[in-house]
Amino acid sequence: MKKRGRGIGLAFYGTGYGNGFPDVSRARIRLLDDGKVGIYVGSTEVGQGAKTVLMQIGAEALKLDVEEIVFITEDTSLTPDAGTAAASRQTYNTGNAVKIACENFIERLKEIAKEELNLNSSYGLKVEAGNIFLDFFPQKKISFKELSKSYGSGNIEADGEFVAQTIMMDPETGQGAPYWPYTFNACGIELVVDTLTGLVEIERAVFAQDVGRAVNPHLVEGQMDGGFAMALGYILFEDLNLKDGKIYNNKFSKYLIPTAMDTIKVENIIVEDPESTAPYGAKGIGEPVMIPVGPAILNAIYDAIGVRITELPVTPERLIKAIQEDNERKEEI
Amino acid sequence: MVKIDLLVNGKKHSLEVEEDMRLIDLLREKLGLTGVKEGCSEGECGACTVIMDGEVVNSCLVMAFQAHESNIITIEGLDGEGSLHPLQQAFIDAGAVQCGYCTPGMILSAKALLDKNPNPTEEEIREGISGNLCRCTGYNKIVEAINRAKGV
Amino acid sequence: MRLDVVGKNILRVDALSKVTGKALYPEDIYMENMLYGKTLRSKVPHAYIRVDTSKAERIDGVIKIFTHKDVPKNEYGVVLKDHEVFCSQKVRRIGDPIAFVVAKDLKTCHLALENIRVEYEEIEGVFDPIEAMKDDAPKVHGDSNIIYHFKIRKGDIKEGFKNSHVIVENTYKTHMVDHAFLQPESGVSFIDEEGRITVIVATQYPHYDREEIASALNMPEESVRVINANVGGAFGGREDISLQIHLALATKELNRPVKTVYSREESFIAHAKRHPMIMKYKTGADRDGKLLALEAEIIGDSGAYASWAMNVLRKSGVHASGPYEIPNVKVDSIAVYTNNPFTGAMRGFGATQVPIAYEQQMDILAEKLGLDPISIRLKNMFRKGSVTATGQVLTESVPLQECLERVVERMDFPRREEAY
Repeated sequence: MKKRGRGIGLAFYGTGYGNGFPDVSRARIRLLDDGKVGIYVGSTEVGQGAKTVLMQIGAEALKLDVEEIVFITEDTSLTPDAGTAAASRQTYNTGNAVKIACENFIERLKEIAKEELNLNSSYGLKVEAGNIFLDFFPQKKISFKELSKSYGSGNIEADGEFVAQTIMMDPETGQGAPYWPYTFNACGIELVVDTLTGLVEIERAVFAQDVGRAVNPHLVEGQMDGGFAMALGYILFEDLNLKDGKIYNNKFSKYLIPTAMDTIKVENIIVEDPESTAPYGAKGIGEPVMIPVGPAILNAIYDAIGVRITELPVTPERLIKAIQEDNERKEEI
Repeated sequence: MVKIDLLVNGKKHSLEVEEDMRLIDLLREKLGLTGVKEGCSEGECGACTVIMDGEVVNSCLVMAFQAHESNIITIEGLDGEGSLHPLQQAFIDAGAVQCGYCTPGMILSAKALLDKNPNPTEEEIREGISGNLCRCTGYNKIVEAINRAKGV
Repeated sequence: MRLDVVGKNILRVDALSKVTGKALYPEDIYMENMLYGKTLRSKVPHAYIRVDTSKAERIDGVIKIFTHKDVPKNEYGVVLKDHEVFCSQKVRRIGDPIAFVVAKDLKTCHLALENIRVEYEEIEGVFDPIEAMKDDAPKVHGDSNIIYHFKIRKGDIKEGFKNSHVIVENTYKTHMVDHAFLQPESGVSFIDEEGRITVIVATQYPHYDREEIASALNMPEESVRVINANVGGAFGGREDISLQIHLALATKELNRPVKTVYSREESFIAHAKRHPMIMKYKTGADRDGKLLALEAEIIGDSGAYASWAMNVLRKSGVHASGPYEIPNVKVDSIAVYTNNPFTGAMRGFGATQVPIAYEQQMDILAEKLGLDPISIRLKNMFRKGSVTATGQVLTESVPLQECLERVVERMDFPRREEAY
């Protein structure tokens, strides 16, 4: 028999290393040839979109087009340490480092422009679209291009460092401020359980994710879709078949991850509530996007068939067994 | 060693291959077509997908000698002089790329699908790429990209 | 705030190279004079070992077989240095690296692996974290299998449960899973034009890899360079060291480029997994559905190595009470060594497991109280100014209620009876 159910899951997630551990990101900005600006940062693009997001934060801070930025991340001999691409920390932590480095770079440019333009002070200077100019007398102007011509590539630079604020928890009571910031989300699932086959089919997923501010909404949606799919696999079918320390399902013909036929179009809702300590308000979401999906599925399964599943994964065999055990319990009563 | 002739991305090749060499090794090691990816070596993930005589195949399951006198298209053969194939452009525009490892195989499966069925439904698209695993995107933006590319 | 670039759907900057197949992952790099490397791994979960490589070394085309004797400082690990680069006396899990064969081609590598003799003197293993916590359990490292114990003590749970109208108790179990990133681990090492030992790899943290390589090889960090190629997915599975030190060591000794590519099967046993957790929950609420007390004991199986066990179980503990204000909370989260595959970072990092428990508890409480799942959450959820179980004040950017309301609005949630 096919039974329909709906469930909800909420979650929160503290980003960053946490617990008072020094969580440091560093970035360096350099004026390169032809007025281009290089952002050097040892942050990894694992597919999440770090390069694009950090370039956008840099472009925003420098008031420059993304096309004018050269982004260098790949080489430890060229880039300062920006910490790991983990803990959902690159947008917030390294984003802050990039923004701070850009702001320091702008100050450096203003100092140089003051000399180059024979000004008494750097007050009133503005940096926009690759030019440094005096706000109330824009004829006093020098471009990034002119500066890179006279100073050469890589000779004007500035560094930025961001250190996150967390407080180590007391070892006996756990009192402290282990993470900052936190992100929040909610997922609603509608599904159908086939009580004969034990198959669960997700019919609808509505997913709201707090992002602080979305630096790139398409990338946020991509993370939400991907987190949803990973959670689906986690709850319903991924199983290593581990026995006495041996993984028996050690290939994709046995370890099943979701295919395009298993996933559905997720109705993603991006919720913005900018965080004041974050770069333009943006918080990390790479991990949180998979968290509320699982409990929403489990609560929906209960709603459909009245059976609580307390052990993962909810394979068809386990689901049928749980239904049978539940029936036996009810008969006894 | 076996001598084979084949057409890869419109270019003729005559080569000697070992009998136990797979098509994926021929493409990657001998022809330098490293856009062909190896994710599982058992035909489950589709990262090594190429188009062989109009059909998608997992190049990890085809022996090199079996490709004798065949016409192979890899991701490297899709874009023309300075212009991308509509599917490649659609994958960029729809945000269908994340880590990129499944992308070449995914695009080739989509091409084979659209070559046979120029106007597939969403369900047909999902079925058409069901042999290609992606761990990053949850597939939705990939489906959207293929939807965008149809009819272009 | 006027924003010109932030908030815009700028096209992903790495997309063009990826749709054209030009994006290079480490295995796509071929160098002149390049050798191939392959790892010999333990076939048993717990044993003392003796390794004899002499027969394999005599095979034509084998250049060198590296074992623990060749590693200047035979240890690494993200928090505790409890991994050996190559096991010296004892293996603790299936898949533990024992030796690294470097040969002229892959076929020779495979042949050499078959000809290395490993004598396993098997020891009793422990695979259940609850068993592993007992005093008489076989020990994986040192004299206790308990790696870490995190505690939250807030308010008085006795009082909280005494005042509760309903109490729900359940034990939830989550299993071990894999990241299954599409690109198996691979790397190429070589000596660069400035004489630096250089490793091209797909990693989440190149500067950390450099630190571990330099430390194991007893070299200054400036003499080591890590180049991150394109990374074919990670999800936490590329935080621990896999082949980085093996490759660097081989290139340093042999002065030649060396390449290693893991098969999918090797990838499954090489990298960390998600912690399985046993989560014992007791949650109490008053007649109106206001949460009064939560007690949770969470046991995480760290497998044979600690990796991020402390941090993961800490995160489980901090998130154990969910996004709800609860006056009385007692949490114990414990990380335990076993002879299972080692577990570490994976998307959600301990905070993915606990909602399996706390969110089902919420629905069970609601049902017992005759409330709907939305109302009970609205009564208890974090809002701006809420204080967490660790005493942290959520001063800003807490739009949880908006998240819930927008989902409920779309799905027409509260009118469940009408819908069917």
